[in-house]
Amino acid sequence: MSRQDAPKKKKIKVPKVVNGIESEVEIEVDDVPGGAWPDRASLRLLNHDLPRVDGPEKSSGRARYTHDVRAPGMVYARLLVSPLPHARVKKLDLDAARKVPGVVIAIALQEEPKWLGEPIAAVAAESVEAAEDGLRALAPQLEAMPWAVDHAGATRPDAPRVGKDGNLGKPETNGDEAKARAALKASAASITATYTVPIQHHSCLETHGVVVDYRGGDEATVYCSTQATTGFAEEAAKPLDLQASKIHGLNEHMGGGFGGKFGLGLEGQVACRLSKELKRPVHLMLTRRDEFLMGGNRSGSVQTIELGGSASGDLLGMVATSFKHGGLGRGSLAGQPYIYAVGDTYRAVRSVLMNLDSSRAMRAPGHPQASFAMESALDELAYALGVDLLEIRKRNVKNPEAWRNEAWKRQLDRAAQEIGWAAHPHKTKPGPATGTECIGIGFALGNWGGGGSKGCEVEVKIERDGSVSALCGTQDLGTGTRTYMAAITAEELGLPLAGVTARIGSSRLGNSVGSGGSVTTASLAPAVKDAASNARALMADHLSRVMNLPAAGFRFMPEGIVNDQAKSPTVMTWAKACATLPVEGLRANGVWVDSLQATGAPCVQAARVAVDPGTGRVRVLHMVCVQAVGLPLNRLALKSQIQGAMIQALGYATGEGRVIDPVLGLQMNANFEEYKLPHALEIPRMTTIIDDEDKRQAVVGVGEPPAIPGAGAIANAVANACGARVRELPITPDKVLMALGKVV
Amino acid sequence: MAKSSDRDSDGDNAADLSRRRFLRGAGGVAAGGVIGPALLAGGARAAPVTPIPLAAAGPEELAGLVEIELTINGSPRKLKVEPRTTLLDALRTRLEPALTGTKSVCDRGNCGACTVLVDDEPRYACLQLACDLRGRKITTVEGLGDPASLSVLQQEFVAHDGQQCGFCTPGFVVAITAALKRDPRASEADIRAACAGNACRCGTQPQIFEAALAAGRRLAEGK
Repeated sequence: MSRQDAPKKKKIKVPKVVNGIESEVEIEVDDVPGGAWPDRASLRLLNHDLPRVDGPEKSSGRARYTHDVRAPGMVYARLLVSPLPHARVKKLDLDAARKVPGVVIAIALQEEPKWLGEPIAAVAAESVEAAEDGLRALAPQLEAMPWAVDHAGATRPDAPRVGKDGNLGKPETNGDEAKARAALKASAASITATYTVPIQHHSCLETHGVVVDYRGGDEATVYCSTQATTGFAEEAAKPLDLQASKIHGLNEHMGGGFGGKFGLGLEGQVACRLSKELKRPVHLMLTRRDEFLMGGNRSGSVQTIELGGSASGDLLGMVATSFKHGGLGRGSLAGQPYIYAVGDTYRAVRSVLMNLDSSRAMRAPGHPQASFAMESALDELAYALGVDLLEIRKRNVKNPEAWRNEAWKRQLDRAAQEIGWAAHPHKTKPGPATGTECIGIGFALGNWGGGGSKGCEVEVKIERDGSVSALCGTQDLGTGTRTYMAAITAEELGLPLAGVTARIGSSRLGNSVGSGGSVTTASLAPAVKDAASNARALMADHLSRVMNLPAAGFRFMPEGIVNDQAKSPTVMTWAKACATLPVEGLRANGVWVDSLQATGAPCVQAARVAVDPGTGRVRVLHMVCVQAVGLPLNRLALKSQIQGAMIQALGYATGEGRVIDPVLGLQMNANFEEYKLPHALEIPRMTTIIDDEDKRQAVVGVGEPPAIPGAGAIANAVANACGARVRELPITPDKVLMALGKVV
Repeated sequence: MAKSSDRDSDGDNAADLSRRRFLRGAGGVAAGGVIGPALLAGGARAAPVTPIPLAAAGPEELAGLVEIELTINGSPRKLKVEPRTTLLDALRTRLEPALTGTKSVCDRGNCGACTVLVDDEPRYACLQLACDLRGRKITTVEGLGDPASLSVLQQEFVAHDGQQCGFCTPGFVVAITAALKRDPRASEADIRAACAGNACRCGTQPQIFEAALAAGRRLAEGK
């Protein structure tokens, strides 16, 4: 397109995600009609259940993850991580490590580790066993330095200084405190309570790590388990001392991310350094213990909430005083009153620094924490006022975008119906703590953007042999990226799903946005659609010349290609049409089209639990989620993703949480025998509902929103069952008994 | 019925029991039989390789790098391991070409991602010593089917979306394969018990149960 006929521009707001943390920015895009998704009724593939196209590779163990990469002459590297939160390395026997048979290199990394798990040395060897021998031979002698690893330790007057400016961050405040306090005073009832959430670990089954394949020369290949395949070459360029464009980044499959895998990471930097020095491929995947200590996490928080309302349940005043526990980072916490509207709110949030690794993004950074506190406080107030738990939620959702409130209200009704609310006896006060099985129900709401932005470059290729591929250097965290790329392209070209191959996971393919903040699908799918429609137009154009028929008349259908402007339309098979292409086939590019995606993914979750007030045992019996998703691309994968987020919230609510001994400075649960993920025996009945009342013909990402409300819903259900209001996650039997006053 | 405890290293045969006693005594440095001095000094690629026959009934002394033969997915495979090399590390790092379908996640027997079949019984490969398994029949996920000819269970994993990131999938597939072999009519409770030791972080368990029950129905009907 020449300069003079450049289209008009318009400004739109899109999410910007840095390391998984979402914010909003305004960008300029072409103001042209960007195409539209076909009517839902006419879709053959999209909005259906599509088994993922890489499923056979995964279920047969053939899918290759970074952990599985093997290269000729490859050595295995291990990190020695600091066992103390702050120390000085007095002695490190690098020579002894180098003398261990099989060890090829041993390097020191840090003389004064300032956080628990900070790497202090690295060893690489011909075998995993020899690398571990090498680590033992380092026999480090550490001098303990003062540390702070918990809230009390970091905030006491004589606390060791973790940050340059002290351990308490500047308060971020919002609202008028005097007004909020006046509103609290004028309320019919108010509550004050403190809610605590622990640090949660991503616990990706594939740990962080890389394989760096540098064997001399000016090129390298770096395999990385990352949420941003096209984003890490520049980081690797420095330690490898190569041009970024000479580094091929690869990430065919990855074993989970959940927000914690951006960038090359410390481990990646070290592996690059080792490979550069050795001129041999280096395999460096964190061990499980190292992953717990240095792989990032969801920040913890302590939130004190004062909340007051009118007799009919309108929220009038709120004062929220919160602290974030993000290790050496600032942590994240969505602003209270979270998604609800309160007459007058004042909030003050401060970070508390500790000698722990910095928290990272994890599925809806800051939102599950805020949701747990707000939803708990809301129920406490509802009981104080004697207002129905469903009603108080409907009254207080007052988003400026009215459609979201409508969505929450209908989703609440649907969730209530699925969870059996109508027949439930405890709607305005908790049930009695009697018997051995008290049944309770809890509700909670979530909200997220889920819109996309520019940044994905997609190519669709049609070959003369009839094969079709859709290419982008993006990644699949387990969300089914390949499947919807293939489905969108196949839908557009009238092909079966198997007729299109999606190729991703390479920095040599087109650029992609990083997968954080639920932006991938809404950024990528429009670009795939654009590339596929362009391919279709080029194909029609080509056929019109070959067949001497108007290009506009071509229809691409499962039965074949027809030109309905031909005198006697005949069906041409796809293979036959492609055979007329020139030898290089056909290539079409696609970019982001904002009209194909939208922002806004409200959801409601409900939980039903059974509590034994004698033992404090909680069993989650049933979880329900009703989730707005815009136009569903693949219903099967969407349900898996939504349900998976609910199960992660189940873990947050009932079992997970980093435990650190403040005196010893050790993490007491840095592996899966003590860090308790939900397993097969704890999985409740799950009802996952795609909100089909959301009729938007636009794609919305939903990686984050269903991870938000689950913990609040479960905590509320436990309190509803028998009055056991547990204000600190995870809800373990001891805390239930304490809440019931049975133990102190 | 399958219990999750079937799958840890507490087998009830004599070899397992003797190894358990030994592991306790050795405080975490594991070897099949007796630890040799060369092993304590660290395994060496330069060390002489000793070909050794089938696992002996009584105590045997193994040290350094030894060449063993394992029967993996029906084929004899020769590989060089140290006495302390686990089956997991042997499969993933000692075999040429490596078999990487068996995943290393916790490396200490509490996630199930490395589940393999040893004589058709599910076992955590990270808790088995490779040299102990001479003469035993080892089946990994790769031995159950390949993308072009998936097993019935693998097909149902695909159909029901019993996998998201897929990293835990091989372990679940192997564990449930063993359960269905024992009883294709296994109930959902049986299936849950059979994979109670398998961790899945994506939260795919409900679809895995569905896939297992669907596969069981097909296997019971001989389809």
